[in-house]
Amino acid sequence: MPYLEISDLTVSYEKNKPTLERFSLDVEQGELVSLLGPSGCGKTTTLRSIAGFIQPDAGQIVINGRDYTYLAPNKRDIGLVFQSYALFPHLTVFHNVAFGLRMRRIPKKEAHSRVAKALKMVGLEAFADRRPAQLSGGQQQRVALARATVIEPQVLLLDEPLSNLDARLRVDMRQEIRRLQQQLGITTLYVTHDQVEAMSISDRVVVMNQGEIEQVGAPETIFAAPETAFVADFMGFDNHFSAAVLSVQDSKLRVNWGGAPIELPWRSKLGSPQAGARAEIFFRADDARLAAGTEANGLAGRVILHTFHGNERRYLVDTDVGEFSVMQDSANERFQPGAAVMLQPHSQKWIAIIE
Amino acid sequence: MVSRWMYISLVILYGFLLGPFIIIFMASFGANATMAFPPQGFTLDWFANVFETSQFIDSFWISLQLALLSTIVSLIMGMPVAYALVRFRFAGSGLVETVFSAPILVPGLVIGFAMLNFFVLLGDTHVMTGLFIGHSAILFPYSVRVISASLRNLDPYVEDAAVSLGANRLRGFMLVVLPNMQAGIAAAFVLGFITSFNNVPVSLFLSGPGVTTLPVSMLSYLEYYFDPTIAALSTLLVIFTVVLVQAAERALGLSQFV
Repeated sequence: MPYLEISDLTVSYEKNKPTLERFSLDVEQGELVSLLGPSGCGKTTTLRSIAGFIQPDAGQIVINGRDYTYLAPNKRDIGLVFQSYALFPHLTVFHNVAFGLRMRRIPKKEAHSRVAKALKMVGLEAFADRRPAQLSGGQQQRVALARATVIEPQVLLLDEPLSNLDARLRVDMRQEIRRLQQQLGITTLYVTHDQVEAMSISDRVVVMNQGEIEQVGAPETIFAAPETAFVADFMGFDNHFSAAVLSVQDSKLRVNWGGAPIELPWRSKLGSPQAGARAEIFFRADDARLAAGTEANGLAGRVILHTFHGNERRYLVDTDVGEFSVMQDSANERFQPGAAVMLQPHSQKWIAIIE
Repeated sequence: MVSRWMYISLVILYGFLLGPFIIIFMASFGANATMAFPPQGFTLDWFANVFETSQFIDSFWISLQLALLSTIVSLIMGMPVAYALVRFRFAGSGLVETVFSAPILVPGLVIGFAMLNFFVLLGDTHVMTGLFIGHSAILFPYSVRVISASLRNLDPYVEDAAVSLGANRLRGFMLVVLPNMQAGIAAAFVLGFITSFNNVPVSLFLSGPGVTTLPVSMLSYLEYYFDPTIAALSTLLVIFTVVLVQAAERALGLSQFV
């Protein structure tokens, strides 16, 4: 049985317009699962329902065999970390962390040693007597982590914990969160709108859109093989075009590319597609190559824009099928705007989605 | 150039602010039977006279009681309103906010006159009750405003954090929100107390036989006498106010919030 079991969770703030619709998810003990999606996709609503701040209209939340659906939020055994940290400004770091233990009437001596241990884990033992306002953003977030984990909750919920930090600190902090999570073996749900963050930190990623799950899977699977156009777009597949399916063979299908068929993997929630079906084809700018002239294989096009990105150059290429963006090693030949090129696919990395 | 003009205008500003007070202060020690500047001679008789005039002593106690009571009541009423206005957006919350600031915008004389009529209509209202209701009403918007300002500085999620750590809503409020409202409440208290203690227009209408606030009795004293007693009393009041604000500042560190 899964440790955290969410089934058919439905929440609507407005009548007939659900924010969250029949959301179901199982999380194993010790697993870190990210809820990934744009703002308004329902990821925070899911988190707040689990924390008990939102009453779902339907569905069930079970943690470790106990029904949490209608349990009062202060009776739940859940650690919550907020985007704004939500530290108590009038209390020292020590008393912020001790707050949950105080509510649980843990004897002073034990509480003291647990707080000390938690502060040590996040490297803030020297800051116990400071006030939150005297700490940097990263340090405040560590206090929030210590405060949420010191109560040894059954589930840890993190709501965009890194959005208020600058880019470099974000990378450090997400490693720290992952390390802490694995060290404690704590079952964790992590809400974010940043796909890189979600992929780097998670055992599994749940991509959400408009209150529904688009895809659940390991970061590698979501990255390489999105199942819906939304996921492909969200996971950074820069290029997209529609094509008719020529033929289907097990895990591959063929479409026309510049007069010749190419073979690429496909995904569909509707089962195996038929020849003649419409496929939406996605590929990343890295997964194509430009060849000079008009002689080589591929789709003929013309360079219309060129931008330099250090190790790579990005070209915008106009073709009969559409405009595509292609990254090339900057050590390679440089194409000027107006140059005729042939666009050659790394089609095993492309994906055809039939919806 | 800019800083020189700023300096000069600052001096002029402070001259106008402090000048009259310095004149009053010095005049209160003058030996003449009418107020004069520069004062001639030196005497503390006028200060003695303040304490011998029962009209002042009585009205001082009334003003003190009135200020304390109406400030506390306006705080008790203002806190939940401020909390609701800051934490929740509800239908008509904008209107509520405007209505609650009306007593600041409406001239005091109008409020006083309106209240007098109201109490006359009600019939047998005790003068003290009328003053108390009138003062509570004019202080209420100040309480709401100052406490709201201090609440707006507090992350709304701290309450959720407290609840997620095991506190119920009430406990979360008492342990997390209230301590962070403290300075706002103290500021509202001092502001309210001084506003009530100094109020003339509302008190003027609502005072009655034998029940008068200090500023009103000072005004009526001035109608008959022009000796420096009033100057001495003014000096005492300024000292009283400064001591009060200083004490509050020491105890609560108001300046970081107001």
